[in-house]
Amino acid sequence: MVSEEPATPTLPSLAAVRSGESAQGIPVARSRWPRRLAYAFLIGYAILMFTPFAWSLITSFKTLPDSVTLNIIPDPFTTDAYRYLFTELDPPLPRLFLNSAIIAGAVTLTNVVLGSIAGYAFARLHFRFREVLFLLVLASLMIPDQLRLVPVYLILNTLGLTKGVAQYGGVILVLAISATSIFLMRQYFLSIPREIEEAARIDGAGYFSTFWRVMLPLAGPALAAVAILQFQGTWNGYFWPYVILQDPNQYTVPVALSFFRLAGGFLTNWPPLMAMVVLATIPILVLYLFFQRYFVEGIAASGVKA
Amino acid sequence: MASTARGASPDLRRARRSEALAGYAMIALPLFLFLVLQIGTVFYAVWISLWRWNVRSGPELFKGLGNYATALADPVFQRAVQNTIYYAVVWVPLTMAIGLFLAIIVNQKVRGQAFFRGAYYLPAIASSAAITVLWIFIVAPDGLFNSVRAVLPFDPLMTLFGYGPNQDWMGDETTALDSVIILNAWTTSATFMLFYLASLQSISGTVYEAAAIDGANAWQTFTKITFPLLRPGHYFVATVAVIGALQLFDQVAIAGGSAGAPNNALMTVVLYLYNAAFTQFNFGYAAAVGVILFVVIFAATLVQRRLFGGAPSW
Repeated sequence: MVSEEPATPTLPSLAAVRSGESAQGIPVARSRWPRRLAYAFLIGYAILMFTPFAWSLITSFKTLPDSVTLNIIPDPFTTDAYRYLFTELDPPLPRLFLNSAIIAGAVTLTNVVLGSIAGYAFARLHFRFREVLFLLVLASLMIPDQLRLVPVYLILNTLGLTKGVAQYGGVILVLAISATSIFLMRQYFLSIPREIEEAARIDGAGYFSTFWRVMLPLAGPALAAVAILQFQGTWNGYFWPYVILQDPNQYTVPVALSFFRLAGGFLTNWPPLMAMVVLATIPILVLYLFFQRYFVEGIAASGVKA
Repeated sequence: MASTARGASPDLRRARRSEALAGYAMIALPLFLFLVLQIGTVFYAVWISLWRWNVRSGPELFKGLGNYATALADPVFQRAVQNTIYYAVVWVPLTMAIGLFLAIIVNQKVRGQAFFRGAYYLPAIASSAAITVLWIFIVAPDGLFNSVRAVLPFDPLMTLFGYGPNQDWMGDETTALDSVIILNAWTTSATFMLFYLASLQSISGTVYEAAAIDGANAWQTFTKITFPLLRPGHYFVATVAVIGALQLFDQVAIAGGSAGAPNNALMTVVLYLYNAAFTQFNFGYAAAVGVILFVVIFAATLVQRRLFGGAPSW
């Protein structure tokens, strides 16, 4: 996991500069320059990262002719683009957001519930073939979604999950549990001292109630990481919703965005397109601002295979 | 487990059995989903790929390896393979290099470290659809990129390479795929930065102290210590990157539609597969393309495992 401050090793040059000494312990004045250069880069790159988002926000308040100028302040300032989105879209914008929220919410819930229960079993309970079955779960990470496209679509078709409102169910079923969720929960449960659990077991608690009453309350950070990763991933997800959701009324926001772009009249109608980019990104941006730690730790932890 | 249980008392054996039953019960549902929707689909896909398959009625005509032969002989598929390989060869090293560079920069003890990490990860949080539409706007003929380079004195250089002031970066078949490469290098390098950060922090500080005592400069420290010690990190990032590169879909589908416009410049293997399934409804054929993709991804992963060795256990 990405831990803050103290344990962080740094390259000696800059660490030495910070303490005002060179590697040999001789104070040198010229080594302030690498530090200044580093700051210049850090700030410059941060500005570069903000610019496209700022530009989409600015453009969303512009008129079409103004949108292709370099004006930083919209001239004239207008909210027409947003009005257009809220009145002209079919299906209406709130419906698209509802679709996204239903799918992302359900997928987050199933991943948290199934992931924590299975993660606990893989971490703590002894049963035959445990390691093999866990490897089987991880092996799924090797299978490209696209190979699964045709078979999964046929299975969903057989189950009647490719028509009407049931299409929600199709997307949710495909994304219901990811190997990453189980992996993250398992790693976290492995890190909890056994004594805590054994005390509960001596008191006669069953396996499930030990999990539910003792272990789950301790797993808050891991649950948060799984929930946030899954919510973000599903909210932003494109491939499966694009494939399974054939009825526009069920479109999620990203799928709708891509279709509107290709639809006539929208192709280079930048202000409404940018307004939609802004609206589509805001929920995740808010989540990121509040739970940045979990984004960073979750991503990093899924990268470090312990 | 079982062998130790055999000699144990009946009580203990009963306890072990109930523990095992609890374990199976707790993994049953996820495991069922994995077996049906993941592992099982590999075999199902191979089966489907041997047929001309009707979406409604199922298998129609046994074709053996016919679908594979048709795919390999199709010039559009060849173009898709060519584009996908080009993308992987350029995008993977580029994005890894940027990600590593950012990780090292934000790993320094600088004021506002958390802020910079947060800001640099920003491009990775938006959806592929939103960021692609935003990018299309930026590199449009009258977009921000062309406007800015008209203001800054970059234009003579660009003209030298044959790009006019209103170059349509995404619409011109010579620059479309490169534009997608830059878009994805920009967004995904942020994720790779986090992977590399985690990997950097597993390197012990004492190694650097020793290097500093030996008088190594920053560049030597990087090339002789940091880079080689990041080997497990390189392996993981490279594997994820290659798998991702071979699956390129969202950005090209959004930018060029299902035709891979302009003129197949944005046709990738996955877009080709999608078209076979959902514009031609040729499911057997699409399944064959999927199997080819799977084999290529699997082979690429094995090659990387061999190259980098000492693979972390999955």
